[in-house]
Amino acid sequence: MSGKIKSKKGYSRLTVALAAGVIIALIAGYILGSLGKVPESNYYSLQQQYQNLTALVQNLTASVQAQKIRAAFIYVGPVGDYGWTNAHDVARRYVQNLFPWLETFYVESVSAADAPAVIDSLIAQKKVNVVFTTSFDFMDATVEEAKKHPDVIFFHCSGYKRDKNLGTYFAELYQLYYLNGLMAGALTKTNKIGYVGAYPTPEVIRHINAFALGVKAVNPNAKVYVRWLMAWYNPDGARQAAQALVSEGVDAIAYTEDSPAIIQFAEEQYKTTGKMIYVFSHYSPMYDYGPDVVVSGELVNWGVIYEDILMKIKEGVYNNTNLQNVDYWWMLKEGAVELGAKFGMPINPKFVNALKGKFVQDPTLGNISIYDLIFVRLNQMSEETVTFDPFTGPIKAQNGTVMIPTGVRAGHDTLWSLNWFVDNVVGSPTG
Amino acid sequence: MRVKLEKRVQISKYEIIAVRIASIVLALLSIGLLFIVSGIDPFYAYSVILSGVFGSTFGISEVIVKSIPIGLCSLGLSLAYTAKVWNIGSDGQLIMGAIFATWVALFSNFPQVLILPSMFLAGFIGGLVWATVPAFLKSKYNVNEVIVTLMMNYISLNLLDYLLSGPWRGHGVFNYPITDEFPKFARLPSIPGTRIHYPTLILLILLTFLILFVMNRTKFGLEIKAMGDNLEAARISGIDTFKNSLIVMMISGGLAGIAGVGEAAGIQYRLIRNISPGYGYSAIIPAWIGGFNPVVVLVASLFVSALFVGGNIAKVSLGLSYGLINVFNGVILIFLISSEYLVGYRVRIEWT
Repeated sequence: MSGKIKSKKGYSRLTVALAAGVIIALIAGYILGSLGKVPESNYYSLQQQYQNLTALVQNLTASVQAQKIRAAFIYVGPVGDYGWTNAHDVARRYVQNLFPWLETFYVESVSAADAPAVIDSLIAQKKVNVVFTTSFDFMDATVEEAKKHPDVIFFHCSGYKRDKNLGTYFAELYQLYYLNGLMAGALTKTNKIGYVGAYPTPEVIRHINAFALGVKAVNPNAKVYVRWLMAWYNPDGARQAAQALVSEGVDAIAYTEDSPAIIQFAEEQYKTTGKMIYVFSHYSPMYDYGPDVVVSGELVNWGVIYEDILMKIKEGVYNNTNLQNVDYWWMLKEGAVELGAKFGMPINPKFVNALKGKFVQDPTLGNISIYDLIFVRLNQMSEETVTFDPFTGPIKAQNGTVMIPTGVRAGHDTLWSLNWFVDNVVGSPTG
Repeated sequence: MRVKLEKRVQISKYEIIAVRIASIVLALLSIGLLFIVSGIDPFYAYSVILSGVFGSTFGISEVIVKSIPIGLCSLGLSLAYTAKVWNIGSDGQLIMGAIFATWVALFSNFPQVLILPSMFLAGFIGGLVWATVPAFLKSKYNVNEVIVTLMMNYISLNLLDYLLSGPWRGHGVFNYPITDEFPKFARLPSIPGTRIHYPTLILLILLTFLILFVMNRTKFGLEIKAMGDNLEAARISGIDTFKNSLIVMMISGGLAGIAGVGEAAGIQYRLIRNISPGYGYSAIIPAWIGGFNPVVVLVASLFVSALFVGGNIAKVSLGLSYGLINVFNGVILIFLISSEYLVGYRVRIEWT
């Protein structure tokens, strides 16, 4: 049994309690053993102290148990995928190790139809008091369950419905896609850049637009060609889409799909034919799949978000009545996302010189190398007061209409519901 | 030593039941071994799963919730399979049912009282129309219906994608590929405290007995049984096999369509891409286990649903991975399907 219950802390607490018990027993044993030498008055005071100590330990254990947070994570995919669910599970394990008062549970590969039943049984059997649902698919189910269990705190990832005991959270990548776009625009030789998208959701459209805006900032002649997969996980489809793009002359590809298939494809091309396709890894650290072709990518760190939420629940900042307006939309500034294909490596060293050797004329920064520009932008977006945003007007849609006027920075709601492509994207935003 | 298989001349009902029960017991024993290998006490695991599924109104109600779509699809498949028309397209037909019903719910402007009945009718027609294509190709040009029905599942999924990311994308959904929620009058009522949308459940039970009646008490039922026994002989004896296989396929599709209505109007209250987590495929199993007998198929649907619910409970209570759950379910079903063979044959071991 022991290996199967996913509640490490439950055991370490048991260990602590056992250790405490052993120590007390040793002390008591020592005291009792040396009774003969102790005067009777001392014996009674020692016994009194021993009893006090025991009571204290019991009280402490009880109060720790009482304040314990039991959090459940509902995943849409298997924890062993190479993307979304894995990233959430890495974060779950991170908070599990961080907080001694936290016990976590997870259920993987849950369908939208099963979500309510799974949540009900977690609450009934595992007595969880915090539930994280980590897929847009679970939105309606989470809203219903939050109504049904008013004492339980719910957080739904990637949705927009909230309630008094239901908050929302999201780690957003568009700033990184913009930086990846700067690199792609600088490196491409054919001025044709590809993007393989999962689904035409506002999130993916936002990422494609940010990527295209980055491309445009350094290379106004380049275009971004979009292919849709209509699946979040489809390695074969992703590979075919990449192949099709390359056969049309594309030499740089970014994508949204939960596997390293496109990176493996590019690495193979490089190894077998010497053909260079610049690729950008998505979501998980994928550098090792294509050290010759991966330029950079987007990395996510859900851990900081879970840490903040759980900490605030523990401290009583969040409770089951005040989450109506709690919406995490965390990016670079908060450390929820990171630039690169590997933590700690924003740009593959192999491509640093190429980026240092290309220059662009910026209205405020003057003549600046692409490499320096990337880091200026990265810093501007990481500061406490963000001084640069990719979605600052003028931004035109494909048909030439100005969607974001000059000088205006698009707000959360605009970005949250994008359904149009910027003007250097080729393809349809409806799939 | 020689192992011989002998065809059974006569099989009593009790023998069939005994073989089925024996196969389930054997399956549970084999899975017990798997539990032991994974470091779990099998008795503990089974008791947790059984008490989870049958020991609470929650577990039982969830089994019923799942058996509604599985049962409806399975019922239709039994009818088609009786006539040896191999419909593998229930999932697509279910999706078409959900699509047609969604049109009624969101875009029809019918009077409110007529909405729910119209949704059921539309869903039935949606599934029926979708099944007509392979049925027609099969009857008229002898195109293999297994391939066509299977392929049409993907077409329906892509049609669903198109509608959700295009014309039917909701207005209040921040451009996510889902429709708006159905208005209150387009939602099916459920038994309080559960997710059982009882109008669909009642429909399932009525249809089960209706199909039972059709199969056993009508000329049509006799004809499709004859077709199942020997198509050529049935044709020569004057049975309109073209018309009959068209009809069984269409009814089969229509019933799957009704399952789609139940999922959209009784569970999700809107159209989403994952409207079916593969119910149409799962439904093939109870149709076989139940030997195409509507009432037995209904019971088998409950059994298969219980397996799925038990799997979810095992995920939560025992912390099993989904892969292991799928293995367990697979083992049980393989044992059951294999026992099909042993119903017809007797194993005799000769010690010489």
